[in-house]
Amino acid sequence: MAGIRIESLAKRYNAVSAVDGVTLDVRDGEFLVLLGPSGCGKTTTLRMIAGFVAPSEGCVRIGARDVTHEPPYRRNIGLVFQNYALFPHLTVEENVAFGLRRRRVGEAAIRTRVATALSRVKLDGFGGRYPRAMSGGQQQRVAIARAIVIEPDVLLLDEPLSNLDAQLRHDVRGELRRLQTELGITTIMVTHDQDEAMSVADRLAVMEKGQVRQVGTPSEIYRRPADRFVASFVGRANFYAGRAERGIFVTASGLRLPVADLAEGADTLMIRPEAVGLRPAGADGLAATVETATYLGAGWELELRLAGGERLSVVAPDAGEHWRQGQILTAHVAPTAGVGMRTGS
Amino acid sequence: MSAATTEQRRFATLLAPATVIVVAGLVLPLLLMARYSLNRFEPGQFMVEALTFGNYVKIISDPYYRRIAVTTVTMAFTATAICLVVGFPVASAIARAPARWKTALLLLVILPLFVGNAVRAAGWMVALGQKGLLNWILLRLGIVSEPAAFMYTWGAVCAGIVSVNLPYVVLTLQSVLEGTEKSAVDAAQSLGATPFTTWRLVTLPLAMPGVVAAGLLSFILAMNAYATPVLLGGPTFQMMAPSVADQVLQQSNWPLGAALAFTLTAITLILTATVSFTLARTHAGA
Repeated sequence: MAGIRIESLAKRYNAVSAVDGVTLDVRDGEFLVLLGPSGCGKTTTLRMIAGFVAPSEGCVRIGARDVTHEPPYRRNIGLVFQNYALFPHLTVEENVAFGLRRRRVGEAAIRTRVATALSRVKLDGFGGRYPRAMSGGQQQRVAIARAIVIEPDVLLLDEPLSNLDAQLRHDVRGELRRLQTELGITTIMVTHDQDEAMSVADRLAVMEKGQVRQVGTPSEIYRRPADRFVASFVGRANFYAGRAERGIFVTASGLRLPVADLAEGADTLMIRPEAVGLRPAGADGLAATVETATYLGAGWELELRLAGGERLSVVAPDAGEHWRQGQILTAHVAPTAGVGMRTGS
Repeated sequence: MSAATTEQRRFATLLAPATVIVVAGLVLPLLLMARYSLNRFEPGQFMVEALTFGNYVKIISDPYYRRIAVTTVTMAFTATAICLVVGFPVASAIARAPARWKTALLLLVILPLFVGNAVRAAGWMVALGQKGLLNWILLRLGIVSEPAAFMYTWGAVCAGIVSVNLPYVVLTLQSVLEGTEKSAVDAAQSLGATPFTTWRLVTLPLAMPGVVAAGLLSFILAMNAYATPVLLGGPTFQMMAPSVADQVLQQSNWPLGAALAFTLTAITLILTATVSFTLARTHAGA
């Protein structure tokens, strides 16, 4: 087990930067997720850590070892791929034993370790099967067993759930998290799915255009996004242009909203739709008119128009009201609900 | 009911021309040849109507024909092995090449196919002759003091057959390697396998269907090679396809020529089937 430190890692293809100076510290035993849209450089970063892509600049350390110039087969990493990448000509047992054989582990030890790994992923008794005789979820669990059985220093997961259907994705991701905690293995996972990222990560690193925009716990990222890109990538958000005035954010139309922890120089205010409270007309807050109201079962999705002409999207739990178009109400934005940010930061 | 009949009629119409050509051009001559192979050859009288396995017995028992058969099979195996060993790296390189180079590389492989076997063999004659390119180079470099004999040797024929078969082998292997999962190779390396171990344990086993297909194709082509052994092997070097032609055209011995032709076909079929079945069983898991 070991932490991972990557410093000013960059990869350029001709003039194009796929990864542009990424520095990350992954603590021993931590589960870090690289989250970002396709083409943001997260997979290239992972492949540089694995050793399949040579960095143009920077270095990769696993524990105390500088592995920047080590080939993948000397890095002692466990790798799980989106398409499972099992060896189709080998049985499940032989697949899982592959890494142990390369390490010249004795046959008796191989048998026990393979059996332990398979039972960890709940595939006892599947050892004699061929991958093609298994479902996608089972194949991915074999791939996980194959990666952890070698007791790697780090576990790297490249979109491991993307090929699975929704229910299975939910199950396998829970299993991944449980295994990772049990084994205490330092893990980096790449994904473009924010729900998936939030649900498994100790910390997230949100990437865009080859750079890390923000690193933090899921709730830090969600509640205190560093910029507009991060805010909208991890969830829905309302944005208002304006300026900060001693704890009050003044929008372009003159709306004054008290905001806790408002940095001087903030020019954008972000409000999550579910952070807005709905109250009867005349109550303390912002007067608003309902433009559209959509009932979703668990709650309501409302598009409001504020007095100053701004729009405000709100998601509210179903508390028995029946919101209608044209209805007048009050939107309550608590001082802790808004987050000030500087555009372009 | 009537729709089905129309459908059937259309089907028959589509198949008819090819069927006629195959029956007239392949099945009938083959049947005729099969009948000929059971006739007797009398010097002076040529073919005499008979029903005898004498020609086949002669081929099997006569050391002269046995040697021709052994030469042919050995040549086909050797040339195929060389094609596979030389062709595999080329095919992997093309399969891994960036998309924009792939077309150009494939074209380079296909290019030799534009030149017929006989023309290519003529080229080899120029290269390998007493005053040929190879001897000129060797003399210039001082490796030999007088021209070496390359023409009319086993090696010359083998080189010729390899050059004819190589494009087919490369193309067949490349199409299979193209379809194999790159991430399985990455997975093997992440698990600690060196590039060579990865190739031995993952790439090669996954490419086995392509190796078998390419090998069989090359083997069948080599077994039936005609122009190359005639032009590069000369009058003393004997392989089966030229000896069929020799019996029919030079000796006018149609019965023996026909029997030789069927022996050649039988050996090819039996060896091909044996290899296919054996490999299919070994790789039943894949």
